[in-house]
Amino acid sequence: MPLDKDITFHLKAKLHDYIPIVGRGTIEALYALAEKLSGKTVVNINSTFSGGGVAEILIRMVPLLNQLGVDTRWMVIKGNEDFFTVTKKFHNALHGKKEIITPEDYALFLDVSKKNIEEMQLAGDIVFIHDPQPVVLISKKGEIGEKWIWRCHIDVSNPDIDVWNFLYQHVVNYDATVFSAPNFARKLPNRQFLIHPSIDPLSDKNKELSEETIDEVLNKYRLNKEKPIILQVSRFDYLKDPVGVIEAFEMVRKNIPCQLVLAGGTATDDPESDKVLEEVRQRASDNPDIHILLIPPESDIEINALQRAATVIMQKSIKEGFGLTVTEALWKSKPVVASAVGGIQLQVKNKFTGLLCHSIEGAAYALRLLLSNPEYARWLGKNGNEHVKQNFLITRHVKDYLLLFLSLYHYQDVIYL
Amino acid sequence: MIQKTLEWFVNNWLSLLTPAVVFIAFIVASIWLRRKLFIYLERAFSQIRWEEKKVFLDTTKTPFLQWCIILGGYISIQLTPLPVHLKTFFGKIFSSVFILTFTWTIIILLERILHLYLKKINLFPANTTTVIIKGLKIAFSVVAVLIILDLWSMPVTPLMLMLFIAILITIFIARDEITNIFSGFEIARNKLIKVGNYIKLDTGEEGYILDITKTNIYVKTSDGKILLIPNSKFQRSIVTIISKSLKQATQPFRFSARLHLKELTGLKAINIQELVTILKKVDNSVIYYHTHNFIEEFQYLTPQPPNDFALWVNDALGDQVLGEKLANIDTFEFSTIGALRERIVEVIEEEIAKRQEHGIKDAPPGREFHFIKSLSAVIPTSYVAHDLREFIDILRVVSLGTLYYHILEARLRLHKGVNDFSIWIDDCLGEKALADEIAILDPYTYTLEGLRSMIINLAEKHLEKEYAFG
Repeated sequence: MPLDKDITFHLKAKLHDYIPIVGRGTIEALYALAEKLSGKTVVNINSTFSGGGVAEILIRMVPLLNQLGVDTRWMVIKGNEDFFTVTKKFHNALHGKKEIITPEDYALFLDVSKKNIEEMQLAGDIVFIHDPQPVVLISKKGEIGEKWIWRCHIDVSNPDIDVWNFLYQHVVNYDATVFSAPNFARKLPNRQFLIHPSIDPLSDKNKELSEETIDEVLNKYRLNKEKPIILQVSRFDYLKDPVGVIEAFEMVRKNIPCQLVLAGGTATDDPESDKVLEEVRQRASDNPDIHILLIPPESDIEINALQRAATVIMQKSIKEGFGLTVTEALWKSKPVVASAVGGIQLQVKNKFTGLLCHSIEGAAYALRLLLSNPEYARWLGKNGNEHVKQNFLITRHVKDYLLLFLSLYHYQDVIYL
Repeated sequence: MIQKTLEWFVNNWLSLLTPAVVFIAFIVASIWLRRKLFIYLERAFSQIRWEEKKVFLDTTKTPFLQWCIILGGYISIQLTPLPVHLKTFFGKIFSSVFILTFTWTIIILLERILHLYLKKINLFPANTTTVIIKGLKIAFSVVAVLIILDLWSMPVTPLMLMLFIAILITIFIARDEITNIFSGFEIARNKLIKVGNYIKLDTGEEGYILDITKTNIYVKTSDGKILLIPNSKFQRSIVTIISKSLKQATQPFRFSARLHLKELTGLKAINIQELVTILKKVDNSVIYYHTHNFIEEFQYLTPQPPNDFALWVNDALGDQVLGEKLANIDTFEFSTIGALRERIVEVIEEEIAKRQEHGIKDAPPGREFHFIKSLSAVIPTSYVAHDLREFIDILRVVSLGTLYYHILEARLRLHKGVNDFSIWIDDCLGEKALADEIAILDPYTYTLEGLRSMIINLAEKHLEKEYAFG
């Protein structure tokens, strides 16, 4: 099996398709930046071509960078099942979850990394490593590439310190690191950049849908189009507090007719997921206005339709990463009620782009406020859409990556290109 | 034979001589009359201002003599002893010739006058002028032929009817075109616009006039599109016209795009004591980021909350008093980041001094203040303005990052003390009043789009005041 393979991207979206959304000036600026990287080759390395947030970003980012004229490649490391079991443990431990990681696990991780270092035909001027799995590839720094960047997509603010220290010895050798939010990062001796994730407005999950498509989805799930819909899209996980959402909904429904839709899937690697789903179903069993929808993966159009049909979208998480479901809701100009945790705070400026809550009662109050004041809800939704347009679309993400690459060759705060 | 002929002449000499004498007398009288008439007309025309008078006199002088000869011939024939039917026949011939020469004269006269007139107003291209003249020639010729046919007792009613219907159909089909043509004449007559003028219609269309044709006005908009405005619509609209030549800048203004990236410093504060300690030692780029970040990220909100410190103190620490004091720091008052930093530190330290007894509150876990540094990349764009009109047109389309750079970043971060636009308008265009108007706009109280509109409005008003009529 080859370690790296040439993959052909069939991304339908072209850069000029984004002009009606972000404006010609934005796209022209991207071309101007990309021109300054002429002659440089960027190679992205992660652990998989499909599945997961990183692959989802790269599958769109790499073609766009190439369209801009930046020679951008994508390679993946090779690993057996045991290797990925260890990296899954690392992932959980970095998130602060208690994991038992043995010296054999570390040894296996290093062993597979070493094989990848030996076998991968690495080439490029800027080597962009994503997440912990390929972090050890930095050992090739002296031989290949001018600049090495480590992009950490996960929150490492409260990690298992042993795992962090193990990774730290590799991370410090990079020229720069990149984090998604300020409070996801840890103090490091090398340069640290802040680059938020993004959504693609032309993807199935975010593109405009016809009324017919939305109605079809509502009919499929037997949802009443006439009754206000409160929606939370997330996997069934205690950290997303689905029971808290039901309690807030029940407080609101006493006075305001509405329906609740909890849509999501269960995580295959999380045994708790089924338990949470069962608990939620039991909690909702006697209420005909609560709809629990188990949506299969790859149902982006359906999620999009539910979000577009919703009156208010919630994200009442107890802990959250960046919270791209909130970004998606804001992009669709929906009023959002969300917990003040994780990356949500970067997106929802309380009372400007949505309402933040810190409790079930706070969530219920915010829901009542929005359902009773549609004009205010519309204003928040409009602001939310504008906020995402300015800060969380893929074009901004492309711009940040281009600037990141360029900034590695310049050390001033104001760079004249 | 000769004998018979002589005999006939002897018996009828009077019948022949009378018409001949009348004819000759008529010619002589006509020559005399024409001379007198044209002398009179030349004198009369010299009193009035009609530039086409020479054409009129030159064109009608010879035909006038022809018409006199035709009239003389007609009268002479009537005096001959010829039978009535022959007299009638010759009468019709003379009448037909008269109609033909009269029509021809009118056509030539019209052609010459229209050529002069249309050339003078320069409204239509040469081929359009030719088409109009040919159309008139055909119309007059048709009328003349109809009259001659009627004179010869030919049936003209069906022909006229057909002609009338054809005209009606043509008018119906080309009614818009005809309205536009008439409007075109009116526009040409008024002489208010010409190619190269900048016009603005109350219906929103605006741009430079590229061409004025018989039916439409072609306008090039700021984004390079060509608008085709029907003459009739133009006439119905309220139009502002910039016709005077605009001042050319001594140096053109090249717009730059500014893009930014956030760099983490790894520094964070949990309370205002830590906040002020770190504030004193961080780079200017950090202070700049936290006093300008909200404008960039939330540029669509009005009014914009002023700085990240005020927001954090208010939201994470629940300290409304200090939050208000920090929010009240007017960034526009400061021309350097150092001075701005000093003021922020001063305000926080004043509050810390007051609170020593009660202790200083910490932010909840996860709500610490993270110090971030702003990295700017400045790229020259292809947009270059050489005068105020170009400046306005470009300002409408550049990105908000460009606007931000020239207004906010140039003034404070690049230590220019005033925005780039005001500097250029004053130094290179010499329009000090407008430069001052833009310089005193407080950019921190507008959204970036609002700021763009405000500057465009000021510049447009200035143009209208200084250069416009209409």
